[in-house]
Amino acid sequence: MEGLFFNIDAGYIEGLVRGYKNSLITSSQYINLSQCDNLEDLKLQLSATDYGNFLADINQTLSTSIIEQKLNKKLIEDFNYIRSQATYPLSKFMDFITYSYMIDNILLIITGTIHNRDKAEILKKCNPLGWFDTLPTLSITTDLNSLYETVLIDTPLAKYFHNCLSIDDLDDLNIEIIRNILYKEYLEDFHNFCVTELPNPTDEIMDRLLNFEADKRTINICINSIDTDLSTEEKMKMLPSIGLLTSNDSIKYQLSELSDLENLKILISSVGPYKEFFNDSSSSSTAGGKSLEDSFYEYEMNLNRNAFTQQFTYSTIWAYIKSKEQEIRNIAWISECIAQNQKDKINNYISVY
Amino acid sequence: MSGAGNREQVFPTRMTLGVMKGKLKGAQTGHSLLKRKSEALTKRFRDITKRIDDAKRKMGRVMQTAAFSLAEVSYATGGNIGFQVQESISNNARFKVKSRQENVSGVYLPQFEADINESINDFKMTGLGRGGQQIQKAREVYSKSVETLVDLASLQTAFVILDDVIKVTNRRVNAIEHVIIPRTENTISYINSELDELDREEFYRLKKVQEKKQIATAAADALMAAKKLKEEQDRLNELEKHEIDDVEKLVVKDEVVKEEESEVNTKANDDDNTDLVNETEGDVIF
Repeated sequence: MEGLFFNIDAGYIEGLVRGYKNSLITSSQYINLSQCDNLEDLKLQLSATDYGNFLADINQTLSTSIIEQKLNKKLIEDFNYIRSQATYPLSKFMDFITYSYMIDNILLIITGTIHNRDKAEILKKCNPLGWFDTLPTLSITTDLNSLYETVLIDTPLAKYFHNCLSIDDLDDLNIEIIRNILYKEYLEDFHNFCVTELPNPTDEIMDRLLNFEADKRTINICINSIDTDLSTEEKMKMLPSIGLLTSNDSIKYQLSELSDLENLKILISSVGPYKEFFNDSSSSSTAGGKSLEDSFYEYEMNLNRNAFTQQFTYSTIWAYIKSKEQEIRNIAWISECIAQNQKDKINNYISVY
Repeated sequence: MSGAGNREQVFPTRMTLGVMKGKLKGAQTGHSLLKRKSEALTKRFRDITKRIDDAKRKMGRVMQTAAFSLAEVSYATGGNIGFQVQESISNNARFKVKSRQENVSGVYLPQFEADINESINDFKMTGLGRGGQQIQKAREVYSKSVETLVDLASLQTAFVILDDVIKVTNRRVNAIEHVIIPRTENTISYINSELDELDREEFYRLKKVQEKKQIATAAADALMAAKKLKEEQDRLNELEKHEIDDVEKLVVKDEVVKEEESEVNTKANDDDNTDLVNETEGDVIF
């Protein structure tokens, strides 16, 4: 039944997204890209893909950052086009996707405000996906109470800030903590929205995807905070309560308690799908061929690919955006390897299509 | 040599000669000392050149890894973390450069040393959610590359300073070897020749004086001798006169003693002979 009325609102968009999906760079194209000797070759190879028009008008000498910039532009245009076609609940769903970028942007502005940076300079660095109208006004306020009361209250993120923000939290070190607390709130909210508001196949798939996203953050936070002096309570605040790892309170508590890598590995390996991660990476860092980060990305991309197997679902949009982001990272990686002549690591990209 | 003209304007006196000899000796000692200094510096210089070469190669490698680790960061974090890192920097520097001085044969070379305060880690929280490990790794690699840069800077400074000092020292060595020493030698030989000339003149003058003196003495002698001779002559004449008187007496006596006559004659002759001997003896005494 769920498919019966789906196409009335979202049929076009789904078709569009699946079309976009087909233009994602495939494994064989990646192989061609990695054979390139210089960035000009790479550009030539990319001109055969969807990026052709975007790379055509580069006048200055090619560099990785310029390529990355252009690829991002394509992603943003695609996203904005879909967004303009969307109706509720898809529009809300897409708004949720932008919230994570908003969090980054707001924190960027706040950091800049604390350090009295030039406003225009910071705004240029904001991610366009997380743009909202009141973003520039953020930098006008100087004290944080008024920041919350006058600006943040109008943004969709107000409810996340409400839970964590107090004046004395906002110094340099705490910015990162706030970022992660906001992210946690955001993930939980998004998850809640998907499960309660969205029709059947979408909620299942999004549940899976968001759970993994949460677990990924959990593992990262735990590993990266080993050497820091974060207290257990602070860690507990940052760990999302969704996800395979943290939905179980005892595991969550143990995770935030542990302070050495080996025990952490054992604990995480005890949870089904994450068993493989630590086997592949001999240590937490990139000592082995594959880093933990790579394993995460690969697993995530597999989930994203699987999201396309279901029809009549909004989750394809999420999967498309994430795949596109990964694709941009891959191309940036390959072009970086080419530019720096480090061909032996060029195959570290992740390709699932 | 470079001509007699190349010498110092001095009075050719014995004192100046002494001064010049002292100067030459000083110049030679200075020359050998400076030469040794220059050699020591050159040795050091070569050593530094070699180390600069090594350091540059090392820097190339380290920088490459560092740039690549940054690429890894941007891959793992999926975005630009530059701003986050910049803004989380506090006022305490983690990486400090200490400078001290090293003395190589009287030349002070600045030496830079990296001093890392491991306890300061301004952005350990950056990338907490994703890519934190890559960020820390990139940080370490970049710290290494900055260390290499500091090493290289210290070597390069030493290189430049040593280069200057070696040039100056070599110029001094050459100046002493090719200008000061020859000039002093020339001056010494000039003074010597002048002094010799003076000596010769003095000798000649002495000889001349002696000659004159001898001539004068000879003349005086001759005069004296002539005088003596004359006196003798007078005395002889007087004696002769006596003898004649005697002879006259004898002639008077002759008539008295005729037969004794021949005997007296021989006696007078004998007397004459002894007088002559006496005369020469007196001459010698005069």
